[in-house]
Amino acid sequence: MFLEDITLTFIAPCIADPEKIRLIAEVSTDISGVMPYLNAVMKNATYNRKGPSFTFMKEFRLVNLYPGKITMAKALNTTDAWQVLNWIKDMINDVYEKRDSIVPNYELRSKPTALQIYGWLPRKNCKECGEVTCLSFAVKLLLGEKSLGGCRLLFTPEYAEQRKTMLEIVAALGYETVEGLDSKTGYRTQ
Amino acid sequence: MGIYLDNAATSYPKPEAVYRAVDRFMREIGASSGRGAYRQALLADKVVFSAREALGKLFGIRDASRIVFTSNATESLNLAVKGLLKAGDHVVASSMEHNAVWRPLKRLEAERGIEITVAPCAKDGSLRPEDVIKAIRPNTRLVVMTHASNVTGTLLPVGEVGAAARDRGVLFLVDAAQTAGTCPIDAGTLGIDLLAFTGHKGLFGPTGTGGLYIREGVDLLPFKEGGTGGESILEHQPDHLPDRFEAGTLNISGIAGLLAGVDFILTEGIDRIRGKEKELTGHFLRALEIIPGIEVYGPKDPEKQVGVVSLNISGVMAQDVAYVLDEVYGVMVRSGLHCAPMAHRTIGTIDRGTVRFGIGYFNTIEEIDTMVQALAEIAGKTLTWK
Ligand SMILES: Cc1ncc(COP(=O)(O)O)c(C=O)c1O
Ligand code: SF4
Repeated sequence: MFLEDITLTFIAPCIADPEKIRLIAEVSTDISGVMPYLNAVMKNATYNRKGPSFTFMKEFRLVNLYPGKITMAKALNTTDAWQVLNWIKDMINDVYEKRDSIVPNYELRSKPTALQIYGWLPRKNCKECGEVTCLSFAVKLLLGEKSLGGCRLLFTPEYAEQRKTMLEIVAALGYETVEGLDSKTGYRTQ
Repeated sequence: MGIYLDNAATSYPKPEAVYRAVDRFMREIGASSGRGAYRQALLADKVVFSAREALGKLFGIRDASRIVFTSNATESLNLAVKGLLKAGDHVVASSMEHNAVWRPLKRLEAERGIEITVAPCAKDGSLRPEDVIKAIRPNTRLVVMTHASNVTGTLLPVGEVGAAARDRGVLFLVDAAQTAGTCPIDAGTLGIDLLAFTGHKGLFGPTGTGGLYIREGVDLLPFKEGGTGGESILEHQPDHLPDRFEAGTLNISGIAGLLAGVDFILTEGIDRIRGKEKELTGHFLRALEIIPGIEVYGPKDPEKQVGVVSLNISGVMAQDVAYVLDEVYGVMVRSGLHCAPMAHRTIGTIDRGTVRFGIGYFNTIEEIDTMVQALAEIAGKTLTWK
């Protein structure tokens, strides 16, 4: 088996939504190699070749795959988290098994839609970004007319999980990430 | 050490892995699941999750979160019945039910005004599906029946009744206390909406473990609220499973053992386990036929029953047979009504009870032979005393 084991190493309530949980899990095998194959078979995922990282939603849960770990936010509880982790493990192993018949895709497979981006924004319509609604901000972000840093709320601790996902997506889109941000934490450096 | 033939009460011995799993858990992990972010707690969590998954595999349940842990089948049955039934609801139950089904129903009859119809079983404990179907009415909410009787071992037609209940939009609760781990059970194919099982019998777990499978779409009211680890901020018990029904710290050391027990079953194979049960039971039943003065209850056919055999020796009280078997021959069995008076009314032994033999996976043909020899001696003596 390609990926033998996934070990939960961290679990905490989601910051924005304390009814849900976020977590980090270590993978027993480096999974960067399967990402282009996952990218070829999964719809609505975002592959960032440079990271590398692979980001997608499993229903309402935010999932980020990295070479040695998986992060997830908005899981219902640990049972739910384990179920999704097992599903990810099976999917990775399945794609790995079939890799000879899959044409790997190293590009961003499909641009996320404005609505998807909207889902990851704070959805407060606070207008701080200079847009009337978060949705219009999302549209401009996709067009490359706005930078992520324009949404101040997203860079408050409350939106840590969404921020991480958004940073992955913006990077995968090939846009500048955000000026003046620490590349690791996503917080403003000053 | 004597011969243990009370596996219908609780299985003994357990597979070696079960003892080791409990010991290892308590020594090396020992943390509470769902309640901490440190490694040990996450390991504890993994144990609980793996147990859910293993049980899901055994019972053909894809979504393991629909299996909630309880302390035994009794708690599961109480949760199902009391969480579901409201005033004016009608229930159909078989006449072989254990008190774990019957008493909660009687309480709801008195307190909530539910109505109960008992579908009569034959003298060997068997049930014709049409007798259940006949009893279904427009206000029937639930059909509940045991998968196999703990008195006669008789297997009840869960598949047929499940299909009929499903066709009529009636929920179906199965008490699998005597069959979980010894007979194949596929909740989906059998049309089971609620499956109550206990961990300490056929599943080889420690006492104090058990669970209830709740099919998606079936909503029950929990009867306890409290801490669930996650979501402490909510004022109400969380809605999603399994947390909705698992307030309070789980019996994780027990669940660690249960996991080892279920893994053992999955490795051996349920068909092989059932096969051995049939072989031992068949051997016992054939031997009993040739001993005069013994009345055997139930279908007397290993295909139609689990490894539970009830009998009486003419002229001897059941508890005396059990006592002599233990004192003189070192054979451990049980006598009396086995918490199922309704079943004894059905088979006509309410006044005297029965001696019950609970055959398990670790019993051997030699042990059965020793016991048959003992029974022949007891029966022979009493016959000559007359
Ligand atoms: C048919 C049946 N139902 C329910 C139970 C209750 O099981 P427990 O005592 O584990 O709750 C038993 C066993 O005692 C049983 O045989
Ligand atoms: S700043 Fe962020 S939250 Fe406010 S309107 Fe713009 S996108 Fe929405």
